[in-house]
Amino acid sequence: MREFFKSTRFKILLGFLAFLVGIMVFAVTKGGYSVSGASIINTVTKPFRKVSNSISMKIERTLDKVTNATEYYNENQRLKQQIGELNNQLTEYKAMKEEVEELRKFVMIKEEHEDLIISQPCDVLGYVTNDPFKSFTIDKGSADGIGLHCPVATAEGLVGITVEVSEHVSTVRTILSPDLSIAAVSSESGSTDYGIIEGSILESTEGMTRLIHLDIENRLKVGDLMITTGTSGIFPKDYSIGTVTKVALDSNGLSAYAEIEPCVDIGRLSSVIVITDFDGKREEADED
Amino acid sequence: MRIKTSREKRILILKTAVRWILYYIVIFAGFIFMTSGTLKKPVILIPIALCISVGNNQLASAATGAICGFLIDISCGKLFGYNAVVLTAFCILISLVFELYLKNKFINVLIATAAVSFISGWLDYKFYYEMWNYENVEIIFREVTLPVWLYTVVSSVFVFLIIKLINHFLMPREHLTIEEVINNIKQNG
Repeated sequence: MREFFKSTRFKILLGFLAFLVGIMVFAVTKGGYSVSGASIINTVTKPFRKVSNSISMKIERTLDKVTNATEYYNENQRLKQQIGELNNQLTEYKAMKEEVEELRKFVMIKEEHEDLIISQPCDVLGYVTNDPFKSFTIDKGSADGIGLHCPVATAEGLVGITVEVSEHVSTVRTILSPDLSIAAVSSESGSTDYGIIEGSILESTEGMTRLIHLDIENRLKVGDLMITTGTSGIFPKDYSIGTVTKVALDSNGLSAYAEIEPCVDIGRLSSVIVITDFDGKREEADED
Repeated sequence: MRIKTSREKRILILKTAVRWILYYIVIFAGFIFMTSGTLKKPVILIPIALCISVGNNQLASAATGAICGFLIDISCGKLFGYNAVVLTAFCILISLVFELYLKNKFINVLIATAAVSFISGWLDYKFYYEMWNYENVEIIFREVTLPVWLYTVVSSVFVFLIIKLINHFLMPREHLTIEEVINNIKQNG
């Protein structure tokens, strides 16, 4: 062992390690933009990841059906009952919903928010391995006009924000993450009930997020829809985020919080769109 | 290994090339596996890097550790280079320890994988979650770090068998004459 530490080989290895540390430091300075090495790997492996992910998703869905059959059966019964009750009210809406295809959903976004400039539909390449907050990668990058910190959404609601962009692949941080804060307001009870949507570890395990810093005398109730305020300049105004499932007093006793069920099932996304521009968007000073 | 003829030399080069191609196919397959689906998965590139390091010299181990580390960084969404540094250091260490002190046996590789993947997972937990004082952060350790560590250790069984198979057919072995074998036996008593 002593001979090894005195050898040229050891010095070469030390130099190599220092080089790797250098790459790591360089990656930090890139501030979210992938270093060229990562970008090349992402581009080369993109088709393989796409194919492999589609296979995995199919297998997972099949396994899910088998392992949760009883649960699905019970849920099915409950939903059937609910559908019966709501059928009259929803007939028109249901008929329309069945007709809507994925691309039409994205057109609807444009119709609802005329100020939005949206990307082409992006396929989800795969979820970040073992990430508890369901970050994922999409098959579009800077070459497709996607920049850093662009909102990512579906027709149903907001999903997250781009946090790493390479030429053909981008990574999205979701609204389940504690590292993403979004100013939100209730669409039901007016502008008085507002707070910050910020993920928490506890809620993220169930695919939920949290609305914090709520006024203690808020009028929020279960089922209220939370939408973006657009004040930060990062997210467009009036975009759906999720519905309230529970309102409770914070542990500090000075404010309240609410559990929010996202409008989008973040754990099972297959395609999304990226909002590249909108009215009131803040231009980032540190961007080139 | 002592090269006796030019034919042996050619075979050695060919075997080494094929062996490394197969190693990198295994690494690539491991990376694709890690980036697919939504379920928790083993960080399979750790046992792959370690199993390759066990049978090779320190420079080759360092390169393998760096490549596998970079791929882990990409698939796990970590700072590019972070896992490369960690895994390169571990691969050099493992290569050295197995060259000097330990035999290339399954139980030794399993223990090495368990130790390295636990340290790697623990560092990941410390730097990416606990350090930022998230509420209920221990859930991440219980629900993500530990299961992923366990899956990684279990996956090392399969990885060990695959790498062992590759090494069995393609790892160069020492060629001895009958006289040399007899001399060796005499010397060893």
